[in-house]
Amino acid sequence: MRGKFSFNTYSKPIILIAFIVVLWLLAGSNFMNVSNIGSVLNSVSVIGIMVCGTIFVFLIGGIDLSIGALLGLTGVVCVEVINALGATPGSVFVGILAAVAVGALAGLFHGFIVTTFNIPAFLVTFATQTAFTGMSMVITGNKIVSCTQPPLFTGIAATKILMLPLPIYFMLLMALISWFVLRRTVFGRQIYAVGGNPTAAEISGINVKGRSIACYVLSGVAAAIGGVVLASMNQQGMASQGADYVNSVITAGVIGGVSLLGGEGTVPGAMYGTVLMGLLTNGLNLMGVDSTQAGLVTGVVTIAAVALDAAQHLDQSKRKAGGLFAGLTKRKDVAAS
Amino acid sequence: MSETPILEAKGICKSFSGVKVLQDVHFEVAPGEVHALMGENGAGKSTLIKILTGVYTMDSGQIFWEGQPVQIDSFQDCQKLGVSCIYQELSVIPPLTVAQNVYLGREPMKGPFIDHAKMREMTQQLIDKYEFPLSPDTLVENLGMGQRQLVEILKGLSADAKLLIMDEPTASLSAKESESLFDVIETLRSEGVSIVYISHRLEEVYRLSDRLTILRDGKNVEVLTKDQIVPAKVIETMIGKVVDESAGSRKMLHSDDSAEVRLDVRGLTDATNKYRDINLQVHRGEILGIGGLIGAGRTELVRAIYGVDKAASGEVWLDGKKLDPTPKNSIAAGIGFVPEDRRNQGFIPLLSTVKNVALPNYDIVKMRGRAIDDGDELALGERAIQDVDIRPCDPAKRVGDMSGGNQQKVVLGKWLMRSLNLLIVDEPTAGIDVGAKDEIYSILEDLAKQGVAVIVVSSDLQELIRVSHRIVVMRKGDIVKEFKNEEVTQAMVLAAGQGVESGEGTAA
Repeated sequence: MRGKFSFNTYSKPIILIAFIVVLWLLAGSNFMNVSNIGSVLNSVSVIGIMVCGTIFVFLIGGIDLSIGALLGLTGVVCVEVINALGATPGSVFVGILAAVAVGALAGLFHGFIVTTFNIPAFLVTFATQTAFTGMSMVITGNKIVSCTQPPLFTGIAATKILMLPLPIYFMLLMALISWFVLRRTVFGRQIYAVGGNPTAAEISGINVKGRSIACYVLSGVAAAIGGVVLASMNQQGMASQGADYVNSVITAGVIGGVSLLGGEGTVPGAMYGTVLMGLLTNGLNLMGVDSTQAGLVTGVVTIAAVALDAAQHLDQSKRKAGGLFAGLTKRKDVAAS
Repeated sequence: MSETPILEAKGICKSFSGVKVLQDVHFEVAPGEVHALMGENGAGKSTLIKILTGVYTMDSGQIFWEGQPVQIDSFQDCQKLGVSCIYQELSVIPPLTVAQNVYLGREPMKGPFIDHAKMREMTQQLIDKYEFPLSPDTLVENLGMGQRQLVEILKGLSADAKLLIMDEPTASLSAKESESLFDVIETLRSEGVSIVYISHRLEEVYRLSDRLTILRDGKNVEVLTKDQIVPAKVIETMIGKVVDESAGSRKMLHSDDSAEVRLDVRGLTDATNKYRDINLQVHRGEILGIGGLIGAGRTELVRAIYGVDKAASGEVWLDGKKLDPTPKNSIAAGIGFVPEDRRNQGFIPLLSTVKNVALPNYDIVKMRGRAIDDGDELALGERAIQDVDIRPCDPAKRVGDMSGGNQQKVVLGKWLMRSLNLLIVDEPTAGIDVGAKDEIYSILEDLAKQGVAVIVVSSDLQELIRVSHRIVVMRKGDIVKEFKNEEVTQAMVLAAGQGVESGEGTAA
């Protein structure tokens, strides 16, 4: 592995650079300027923030389908609290805390149900997805709750530092934290162990159940932070505000080489997947592709990325149908048994 | 028996990647006889059965069915002939009824629809005929293991099976269920159905079989008739005289009872009776071997001592302190555990050697604030690679991609990084080549010399005798025999595990 150049090792940066070069050639200065790059990154910042939390759940071989609905719910909670407290600067902090608390509680619930009753995470979060959207609708009376004050709140999305919008910095900060936790701490190592082989992890003295619950909490918290940013971007809270985001977050992870079987994947990989999706949407946009067709192209590119990854896995190890195809087609029992 | 055998296999040879698994094996079953098939693990029993049922293709040889040469390439071929195989892993479908299971894929039809009434009636007739304690409409998921097995047998009988192959049928049955299975076997025999009965349990074979074929190292060494089936003879034949005289099979055990007791297990009892009231001591520097048949409760016992599973009652004391066994507490108390099922329980296949070794050892890896000191982690991994001699040594290689021997060394090596008081290894060399085996034995011996108490659970008798200072034998959840400070042979351990009391005299 070391010292030798192989396409497999560097495929991600190569593809990313190729993408940028192609877009540059096609769209010229329309693409390659700070404002456009900023808007590309800004458009995926919420996805990026969420993937930094959900990657923990992916790594233990679970899945969190509720994050889209949670994005909407936490946004609603945040703006409702701000509005209720008279849109003072202090209310923003309370609103954000409330949103994060809701996200953490949701994660705690998922983790508890999945590990205690040994129900596949797919089913649990599939159900809460509906429940969370329903909760948002009850809170808002199924209306859009607008929130244009105070500036401290709208500024979360609107502030620019060095010409780049603040959400990009949030995404980077989240990525740094997640990367540090997963790459450098004992907790991170244990997450990979739990995802790779829960039984062996348990024999090695790891509290598999506790670690699993923690992962769902992190996923919920990241969704809550994303929910606040999204609500600030849109200056409103709405039940259906996050509906599309589940697919985007899972796609970003999968493109970035995060195995849905657990045990495999990195934060840089997931961020690569996130940025690639942003570039793709932006490129299609610049080329004047109608947004109705953009979804089709995104789907095709996703499959291509997954196929490429699966092909590499077939090369690398004797595990048949390894990599992402396996991750997409087979589900193992997620919970710590 | 002068009749034409119902099944006769002649000169069966089979190799897997150059290794001869079966050599010129001859096996025949007469109509209406219970023919037992015995042999140690790896003697070729399963391979022979898989050839007879069309799962494997033989390299050479011939199979005759009622005197006619036949070719068996698939399960369907088997069914057509009237051969039915009942594996240990039952193939009944729990959410379906007994009748639906029995006629699965062969349902009686009325036009385009299944004739349920007829199916129930046919099942009832079969049940009545063999007097099985079953009802056609019960859901299989509501049945116990023994009854499920009867459903499986009915399946075979409903297809007019003339030959039933049963692979370790009593392995998951209670004593009572086993008894009723034996009754069923007697009934079937009187009906003229032939039965091939594979079992490790000598008492069953002794009781049921008309004849016994013994395989050893892929060859059939002997066919015994009923009057020849005596425990001493069978054990001697299974182990083989050649092995018996080799150094590995006979040893003078030396156990030093005066050394301080490190592990003291008091009255450990399992909630489901897998092991009962186990009292066990392991001394400083002692390697205690635990022998017995698969399913005797050995694995369950050591898992409870380490704390992977909880015992219902009883106490575990280490160096005079009472433990509350959980993996975390055990690790903190200096206990290491190498589980039986390496692939599924031993290591994290996607992680590197370094990270696998470090996993239970982060309390001794240097930290910089919250961050792991990567250099120190790598050093730990490299030390393990050296200590257990993993070759080729690539600390970054995923353990899942390594050979079985190296994988086991990683699993063992991670415990050597800590200061151990007790090491428990369950089937430490299963599926490992001879060279790596010897290395693992010397690692265990070195640990014992350093004063560590070691428990070795093994089904490999030669291994058990080679490494142990003292041997206890378990049978059906109890410790039935202890060998210490005496000469012991494989035959003696085997006999104790099978509940044959005349074991002592067999080797001579």
